[in-house]
Amino acid sequence: MISLQEVSQAAEKFLGDRWQCPVQVTDIRKIFGGASRETYRLEVSVDGESRGLILRRDPPSSLIDTERELEFGAYARVYPTDIPVPEPLFLENDTSVMQQPFSIMAAIDDCMTDVAGLSTEQRDQLGREKYEILGRLASKDPLALGFAELMPVPRLEHCAAEQLAYWESVIIDDEIHPQPIARAAVRWLKRHMPPPAQKLSVVHGDYRTGNFLFNSAAQITGILDWEMCHLGDPLEDLAWSMDPLWRGDEVNLAGKLLADDEAIKTWEKASGLTCDPDAFRWWRIFVAVKAVAIWISSSEDFEKGQGKDTILALAGWVMTDRQNRILLSYLNGDKS
Amino acid sequence: MIPLPDQSLRNLSQRLLVSLLPEFGSEYAVSDAASLGLLMNALADELAEGIQRRLEDIEEMKVILAGCVTLEEERAIMAADITIYTMKSVNGRHDELTRLIIAWHEKSEAEDLLDVNEAIWRYLHRHAERHAITAVP
Repeated sequence: MISLQEVSQAAEKFLGDRWQCPVQVTDIRKIFGGASRETYRLEVSVDGESRGLILRRDPPSSLIDTERELEFGAYARVYPTDIPVPEPLFLENDTSVMQQPFSIMAAIDDCMTDVAGLSTEQRDQLGREKYEILGRLASKDPLALGFAELMPVPRLEHCAAEQLAYWESVIIDDEIHPQPIARAAVRWLKRHMPPPAQKLSVVHGDYRTGNFLFNSAAQITGILDWEMCHLGDPLEDLAWSMDPLWRGDEVNLAGKLLADDEAIKTWEKASGLTCDPDAFRWWRIFVAVKAVAIWISSSEDFEKGQGKDTILALAGWVMTDRQNRILLSYLNGDKS
Repeated sequence: MIPLPDQSLRNLSQRLLVSLLPEFGSEYAVSDAASLGLLMNALADELAEGIQRRLEDIEEMKVILAGCVTLEEERAIMAADITIYTMKSVNGRHDELTRLIIAWHEKSEAEDLLDVNEAIWRYLHRHAERHAITAVP
């Protein structure tokens, strides 16, 4: 455990060294829900000037076991493009500074993540922008952006199989109890592999409502949480963004914002790609399996005491239950 | 007094959510405590019904598997019985039979055993409904 005061003091020293000037933390708050990293909002005074920062610190255990270099590297490569992300500032792997590695980004002001209070018009506007941005991300050449330095570059015909193999291994390694629904879904996916990806894209990996910031004018100001970023089939992000888990009671609105057909049309126009219904069905079932794997993983961490965050217990238990029922609804009666 | 653990947990959850939570100073603590309160309610349901739900699963799995299993090893797993009704013991028995169900589900797909396949899907639906967590919105 590290206290707010310890984070604050370590940040002051670290930033002072990096910026070569006096830095004072004037306010610090821990943000709830940073499932993969402990997240803090800091207000700092730098040479007398006020500045907002976000500090993301590795916990002993996280919901997603990923490398911080990958996430920070993704921010750094996407930041100069037309995809809005917070400015990445520092990545520190030396654990002597704050007990765990951490990264620091510029904070984005006047922003929120919860769409509950938005009007129908605002949701529609936000939904269109969400899928335009995703389409633009899908259209980019990941190699030209330098992503090959960060992560493996799969062949188009291997994108689906590699992702499936990875997440199946997570289920096998981390399941506390046998998972008959997820196992049946994995077998279905193996029997119905999709065609090769239309193009190789940067896949955000967790593109959903809640993982982007928007301002009071309902405009997206930052896409967050790139820790599951990889190169692959762009349909993966589209499918993940439309998973029923992110809809709540708004079952007909992808991510509580936009009707499915509008979301797909907007994405197709912005990306210049097509959403083949059969391939898309495969990816929708795949993302539900991937989600089960993530929730199972968090369950394992919580039960073994590697992580004690409430979010791990919530995800591990409640989300697995919901996601299993989603998988059942997808596979209902399909004996093929 | 013999306490009713599920009701006690619900009462504690209510105390946390209604009395203590408004006193918390930080947004982080409020969100975390709210999640804790909801999880305590889900745990209360599990304390009250969890063993019974697993026993119903076990009975259903045994009926399906009775028409399938042939191997000596499978028969031995089927023949075992629960003697201690703790959650850990019942979970262990549930896991053993679930592994058999997974194996037979896969076999039913490979060998076109339609009746077995359909019976297992029906069971999985009932299992999911039986264990659905309703205490967390």
